Amino acid sequence: MSRIRFTFTREVALAYLSHLDMLRLFLRALRRSGLPLEYSRGYNPHPRFTLALPLPLGVTAGEEIGEVFFSEKVEAGFFIEELTSQLPGGIKLTGAFSVGAEGPYIAALVRAALYRAKLKSISTVHGNARLVKESLEKMLLKEEIIMNRTNKKKKIVSTNVRPFIKEAKMFYEQDKNLELMLELEAGSQGGISPVFFLEQLQKEAPSEIPGVHDWHIHREKIIFVDNPLPAFD
Amino acid sequence: MFGLQGEKMSLEEAVINDILSRVQKPARYQGNEWNSCLKDHSSVSTKMVFAFPDLYEVGMSNQGLKILYHSVNLHDGLLMERVFAPASDMENHLREHKLPLYALESRKPLSTFDVVGFSLQYELSYTNVLNMLDLAGIPLRSENRSMSCPLVIGGGPCAYNPEPLAPFFDLFILGEAEEILPELLLEVGRLKKVVSSRRDLLLHLSNYEGVYVPSFYQPLYEQGILKAIKKLEPQAPDVVKKRLVTRLDDAPYPVSPVVPYIQAVHDRAVIELFRGCARGCRFCQAGYIFRPVRKRSMGNILKLSESLIKNTGYDEISLSSLSSTDYPSIGELIREMDEILTPGRVKCSLPSLRLDSYAVELAEKLHHGKRSSLTFAPEAATERLRRVIRKNISEEEIFSALKDAVDAGWQGFKLYFMIGLPTETDQDVLAIVNLCRKIRQDLKNRAKSGLMLSVSASTFIPKAHTPFQWEPQLELPLVKDRQEMLRSGFKNLRGTDFSWHDPGASHLEAVFARGDRRLALALERAVRLGCRFDGWSEHFSFQRWHEAFDQANLKMEDYAYRKFDYHDCLPWDHLHCGIEKDIFIEEHLKAIAACQEEENS
Ligand code: SF4
Repeated sequence: MSRIRFTFTREVALAYLSHLDMLRLFLRALRRSGLPLEYSRGYNPHPRFTLALPLPLGVTAGEEIGEVFFSEKVEAGFFIEELTSQLPGGIKLTGAFSVGAEGPYIAALVRAALYRAKLKSISTVHGNARLVKESLEKMLLKEEIIMNRTNKKKKIVSTNVRPFIKEAKMFYEQDKNLELMLELEAGSQGGISPVFFLEQLQKEAPSEIPGVHDWHIHREKIIFVDNPLPAFD
Repeated sequence: MFGLQGEKMSLEEAVINDILSRVQKPARYQGNEWNSCLKDHSSVSTKMVFAFPDLYEVGMSNQGLKILYHSVNLHDGLLMERVFAPASDMENHLREHKLPLYALESRKPLSTFDVVGFSLQYELSYTNVLNMLDLAGIPLRSENRSMSCPLVIGGGPCAYNPEPLAPFFDLFILGEAEEILPELLLEVGRLKKVVSSRRDLLLHLSNYEGVYVPSFYQPLYEQGILKAIKKLEPQAPDVVKKRLVTRLDDAPYPVSPVVPYIQAVHDRAVIELFRGCARGCRFCQAGYIFRPVRKRSMGNILKLSESLIKNTGYDEISLSSLSSTDYPSIGELIREMDEILTPGRVKCSLPSLRLDSYAVELAEKLHHGKRSSLTFAPEAATERLRRVIRKNISEEEIFSALKDAVDAGWQGFKLYFMIGLPTETDQDVLAIVNLCRKIRQDLKNRAKSGLMLSVSASTFIPKAHTPFQWEPQLELPLVKDRQEMLRSGFKNLRGTDFSWHDPGASHLEAVFARGDRRLALALERAVRLGCRFDGWSEHFSFQRWHEAFDQANLKMEDYAYRKFDYHDCLPWDHLHCGIEKDIFIEEHLKAIAACQEEENS
């Protein structure tokens, strides 16, 4: 058995896929490639494949990571060649690395993710750049930002997500676009999505700050506890 | 850094992308799927967009779309793209931004294509057809279209009686279009350069077998009754005959269908075993219009299946046909399929099962390990009524098939029935509950952990080109009564789950299924009143439809309850499905005789 981790980008042409859609996309591409997939055991075996962190709908990405197990040794170069020919425009494979089959799954190593959010239309920037900045500051001063979620038992669970915001900065030059840089915690330890962050930001000044849909969100990269790609060491 | 940066995007593209971030399931409108085909618009002679008047998930499961997309795009000189009915949130955004409905592949407006071809699968999608034309900025009525407008064409089962849609379409294709369509499109490309009017263009095209140009025919009414259908162009055929593929093995087959990202209704590869069905159930339009039965050879099936899996990456392949278990060597086929599919861990499935022990045996072979539920359609619960509709299966056979299935490990069954069938009485309806009770009594101890029956009752809809085409639909209050009888019957029956169809929607379907051209006005009014997606219970509004009919000065009952005589002129008399009227009359008489036999004995 062997394992490969690979990096890829997602462009705007395929930005509107959900996490499940992305899984289906890769699984089908992998099946078409004819590479020797390793299957899980049990009643309903499925290929052992995961993506490190779900990418929200509408968000583009610069360095996503996936992980797949094979029943025999597969060279990283061969993998890139075979899988690339099966991927649609909009998803680009940018690297692949063999890692040992032992050890934790990629998803268990995720710590945070780095996002950039940019306003789609420059015209919405003027006049409220200062307001966005003020609101951002106000928001970051808070000790508690509560997120309510319904759990599996249909009960509402409240979490303080303020600690999940590691960093949030604004960049703005006159007559240029406004950009936010966000580092948000993510993964099995808990975290928040950039969509939730922007919703909260808008709440600071609902009528003047752009809504979630006015931003284009790009995930620059996922940040891991350990470097998941040995070749980078 | 940003996906948007560096990519040159037109203003329209930017707006579309912005809209997509604001609608439900934006991938419906995104395109760019695996195996989708984007050609240069300036490199072909004729550009067609295939329009499916329902949601993406529904349309992408349609086999006709896959076949035609493949057979047209095979030609260098032709291109076909796709468009589906936008959900209401998308429609609102398009209207708000004054964006015309666009094709998925190139995102070009529908009006820039030469041909817009609608797939007409069910009557309750007609309002979506009109709404899509409107969203595309194409005049609804064909008489108002100029030379520069696309040709609006239609095909599919509803084209066998397209009269309610006649004023909106330039032409219909009767029957199977995979062979004629590329030919026709090439001809359109050639003719466009030489003819000077739409009428001339249509006149040329009407020479093709299977092409029906509705504006060349005029229905004549006397006191509100259709008396005759007058031909207006001497060159047009008296009777339009359906197109038919003679050898399936020679016809183009879509081995590289577009693979959706979001889950389609049928999310799997499909291989068609044969076309047509020889069983001849008298209510079934598909059984008649797809005749004769044409079988694909086993070698061809295996070869195509292998390519399908290789080209799509699906992990399931459906052996599709109207009644797949009737394939002559189905047992052997399943064995052979197993051999080629196992290494790739692909499973094989059958869409529908005949209610007999052999079918259960086949299902057993297919479901290694997993036993979800089996679907059967007895349609009627008494042997008498089954004889009337020619669903010839005895109660004994039903029980032995179910027993076998339970012994093989199945515990859930879906059973489909129909109410309102000709000659049906309250007794026949109550028999549905009794039959299910008996099934549970007899089998629940055989099943390891109980037996679950999901019973569904649809309402019979008399369809054109069937032996029941002369029959009225059961009156609405009676339909409701009989549904109520079933509801209360099943309420007291444990381990059963009963569902039924919206009686209003079935009534409307019956109106259009045997409707005539006068209905076009009601349809236009309904669209204006906001009717869309009438096949979806959450969108269907019977009240709005009543309003539309009032405005058009028409009555739904006149259409749904009309009983035709054999000598009456039927709205579809000039359209030939390949079966002579005599045969339908004979079958209809047999149905009546089957009913009387029982009464006399
Ligand atoms: S109902 Fe099924 S078996 Fe009967 S004719 Fe139609 S397709 Fe064939």
